[in-house]
This record gives sequence, structure tokens and C-alpha cells, in this order.
Amino acid sequence: MRVLVVEDEKKTAAFVRKALQAESFAVDVVHNGDDALAAALATPFDGIVLDIMLPGRDGISVLKQLRARKNSTPVLLLSARGEVNERVEGLNAGADDYLPKPFELSELVARVRALTRRGGENKSTTLRVADLMLDTLTHKAQRGSASIELTAREYRLLEFLMRSAGRLCGRMMILEKVWDYNFDPGTNLVDVYVRRLREKIDASFEPKLLHTVRGSGYVLKDSA
Amino acid sequence: MTIRTRLTLWYAGIMFVSLLIMGVLVYHEFAPEPHADGGQKVSEDEGDLREVLRIIFWCGVPAGLLALGGGWWIMRKALAPVATLTQTAARINESNLSQRISRTQNGDEFDRLTEVFNSMLARLDESFARIREFTLHASHELKTPLTVLRGETETALRDENISATERERANSQLEELRRLTQIVDGLTLLAKADAGQVALNLESVHLAELVRDSFADLQILAEPQQIKVELAACEEISVRGDRHRLRQLLLNLADNAVKYNQPKGQVTMSLRRADGLAEIKITNTGAGIPPEILPRVFDRFFRGDSAHGNEIEGCGLGLSIAQWIVSAHSGKIQIASVSSQSTIVTVHLPTA
Repeated sequence: MRVLVVEDEKKTAAFVRKALQAESFAVDVVHNGDDALAAALATPFDGIVLDIMLPGRDGISVLKQLRARKNSTPVLLLSARGEVNERVEGLNAGADDYLPKPFELSELVARVRALTRRGGENKSTTLRVADLMLDTLTHKAQRGSASIELTAREYRLLEFLMRSAGRLCGRMMILEKVWDYNFDPGTNLVDVYVRRLREKIDASFEPKLLHTVRGSGYVLKDSA
Repeated sequence: MTIRTRLTLWYAGIMFVSLLIMGVLVYHEFAPEPHADGGQKVSEDEGDLREVLRIIFWCGVPAGLLALGGGWWIMRKALAPVATLTQTAARINESNLSQRISRTQNGDEFDRLTEVFNSMLARLDESFARIREFTLHASHELKTPLTVLRGETETALRDENISATERERANSQLEELRRLTQIVDGLTLLAKADAGQVALNLESVHLAELVRDSFADLQILAEPQQIKVELAACEEISVRGDRHRLRQLLLNLADNAVKYNQPKGQVTMSLRRADGLAEIKITNTGAGIPPEILPRVFDRFFRGDSAHGNEIEGCGLGLSIAQWIVSAHSGKIQIASVSSQSTIVTVHLPTA
């Protein structure tokens, strides 16, 4: 997987590159909009991390140019402006995801992973991790032979975690996908819900599937 | 007594007195010289005197009344600009400093006063704008270094070779950085709202649905401290509003009701129709808020007494943001407290 990182702030570009490389992405870095457009058109990338505020041509303009030239590389927009309507503006311009600064690094990595796998998302109606099963049609969950009762929200949380099984899910990402919150509510809502879900799916079973990555988020995986 | 009444009375009084003086002078001018020897003349004189007094009375009273009425009218006309000035000045607060008082342009004293007043408003407006701009720029400028700090701390944490102490330190730093991010985010939002740069995405919102949703979240949030929650009423009401902002408001209030509660306490939530408005009420048990600090709880970064303020984390902007969301929806938010027992937050929103 090869990713283009467009970020004019050198330090930010450096740690983003490092984090993505640690996840075995090949990473190219450019620092301005014109270079970004040239690079993106010259090389087929699997994903682009694009800062909106750039010297010269800004991120939105790069994105529009790419889409106008039928380039459909998945794009994750970064922004420090935090404009409320910027997310909508960005998505309308053809972005696939949007992350306001300051972001959590693991959140960024998780999103890039999701972005580059967009086509290959698990679409089946029965999700399975180890002996945990979730039927997305009947909303029934089962661990081994024991069936598990879930509330609507717990179901959505579990479905999201199972669809991204093996990948780290950041708190913001969970709030966005499960709660449809595009703001940080400043509560420990996600943690409390995950704790409840864990009681249902993990407490009386082995091996444990739902893991906490301290300070970053959660991952559902078969640790065996 | 208003200036107008005072001036009118003075004016009428002076008119009346000057009439009297005039009458006396006229009398002295026309009255025949008294004869030293005649007794008859005296009674004639007395008759003249009475006649003059009669004339003075019959002319004086209507003239006095006329002076009173006319004076009142003239004063009203003269002082009308002051009334306008007062009304406009009373309407102006920090949110509509751009308003100006219309001038007569006739160059009189009041016109000049209006001009001075307007230029004072302009200066105020400008300094308010400068403060807003400063906050906005400051919060923007903080974002880049924050991004770098967070990223680098996280990068350090990803290194498996660091010692447990270093990891502990980095984790604690990350926690504080997260808090700082929340503060900066909240500040940016409020600074933008102040500058009128936050557009609400208005649509018809089924408020009852949002209340039920946040009640579900409230149940979860309350569980660890064994706080009992109750949805006392949830009438089917719709409002015109921004769905995300309203959810943010409800979650914010629900979260506060849990945070500022006591273990095994209670939170009651309700949505009702009251006087044609949607009324959301959230009541929680807890230490309550002392009456002297109640008016300040919506102030930015205001913390109640340190006794129960310190250990509760948060960015100190929650209620300010809640207040902004409510007023952006043309609603009202109030907080009342029965000290050391309970606190009631009431939100009124116009229905769709």
C-alpha cells in the first residue's frame, strides 16, 4: 500500500510518515498543493492524506482538480480550521473522510487503513470473529452456542467493531460511525459502552476478543 | 420628575410671573394719580384695581395654561432625540454593537451628541471584534503545535523499547494534551459563534427522538455510579434546529447531571410542551449550586467552589457551549438550584 501525505508543517508530516511506515505503508511526502497534484497524477496511490491549508494551491482545490481529472484515489482531509461546514464542503468536493486537527495519531492511522481498504470491506451479512457471530439481518449475536442480547446502540457498536475486526478503532471514529456525532462530546460515553459490551461478549468467555489500546481506542480481534 | 415636566413647569411659571409683572406695570401706568383730599376717589380707584385684577386673572390663567400646554409640546419636540437615544442605547449589547443611532443631520446639540455616541459605539464594536479575532487566532495558532505535541507523544508511546516510567509519563502527558485539545476546540467554537461564523444546519428535528436517544446515553453514563435515571415525560415535539448541535446540547446536559451528582443519586429528564414552547428539564441530585454563583455558571471557564470542582474533569466550556446552542435556536436556558439538594436545568425552545 502506498500513501501520499500532503502536509506543509514538517514535524507533523514527519510523525505521520513514521506512524504510517510502522504500519507497513510506503509513504511519499510533499509539502505544497502543486507538488501534491503533480505527484497524485503521476503515481497511482492507494490513499492520500491531504491537509487543507497549504501554501499555494489549497487542499480543497487539489482535491477538486483530482476529481475533475477522474482520479478517484481515496482522500482523507486534515484541517486545523475546524470550520463546522468544512467537513460537508470537503466531502462534497469528493473527499472520503475528514479529520480535524489536532488529531490522535492512531485515529489517523485507523482511518487511512479504512480508506485504503474501502473496496474490500466485509459486506457479508454474517460477521464472525473467533466464535463470536453477528447476523446483520436479524441483529442477533452469538458467542459459541450462547446467544447474546444487545440494545440497538450496542448492536451498532459491535457491528462496527466486527466490520473493522483486527483494526484499531479510535474513539472519534466510533463516535462518528456509531453515534453519528461529529463533535467530541467530552464524555467517556464510548468507554462506558465498550465496557458494557465487553461484559456481554467477553466476560464469561475465553479468549477475550475486545481489547483496549490505551489512549488510542479499541480493537476487536482473535488474540489466539 | 422628568426633565420635560420640570422644564414645562418652570416655563409656565415664568410666563405666569411675567404676565403678573406686566399687569402690575400696566396698572401703574394707567391708574390716575391719587388725589390727596378726596375720599370718593379711593373707592373709584378700588374699582379700577379690581377691574385690572379681573383682567389679569382672565387673561393670565388661559395664558398660563397655554404656556403649560405649549411648553409641554415644545419640550417634547426638543427632547424627542434624547428618548430615541435612550431607547437605542438600551437595546444595544455586545451582540449588536454594529447598530447605529440614526442622526437628524441638522447639526444641533442632539445631533452632535448622537454622533459622539455613534463613534463611541464604533470604537466599542471594534475592540470587541479585536478580542473575538484574538481568541479565534489564538485558538487556531494553538492547533498546529498541539497536533505536533500529540503526534510526537503518541509516536513515543508506540516505541516498545521505552521504560515503564517513560510510558507512564507519556500517557499522562497525552491525557493532558487531550484536555487541552478539548479546551482549544471549545474556544474555537465559541469564538466563531461570537463572530457569527457558525452556520446552523436548520431542519425539522423530532426533538422527542433526540431526547430518547440521549436518555439512553444517560442511562449508560449513570450506571457506574449507580445513579438512578428516569424519563418523566417525552411528548412528541418537533423543533426547527440543527440536529448535531441539539444532540450535543442534550448529551452535554446529561453528562453534567451525572458528573455533578452523588453516588446512588438520581437524574430526571423530561420533554414537555409548555406555553407553546418545547421544555426540556433535567433535574439531578447533588451538592447543588450556591445561589451566589448561579448567575455565573454559564461564564466561560467558570468553575464552582473548588470543593467539588477540582476532581471533575472537563474543559470548563460545556455550559457556555450549551448556552450558545440554545440561544442560536432562539431559546432560553435556565439553571436553578435547591442548595445541597438538587439542580434543575430548564431549556425552552420554540416548536416547529
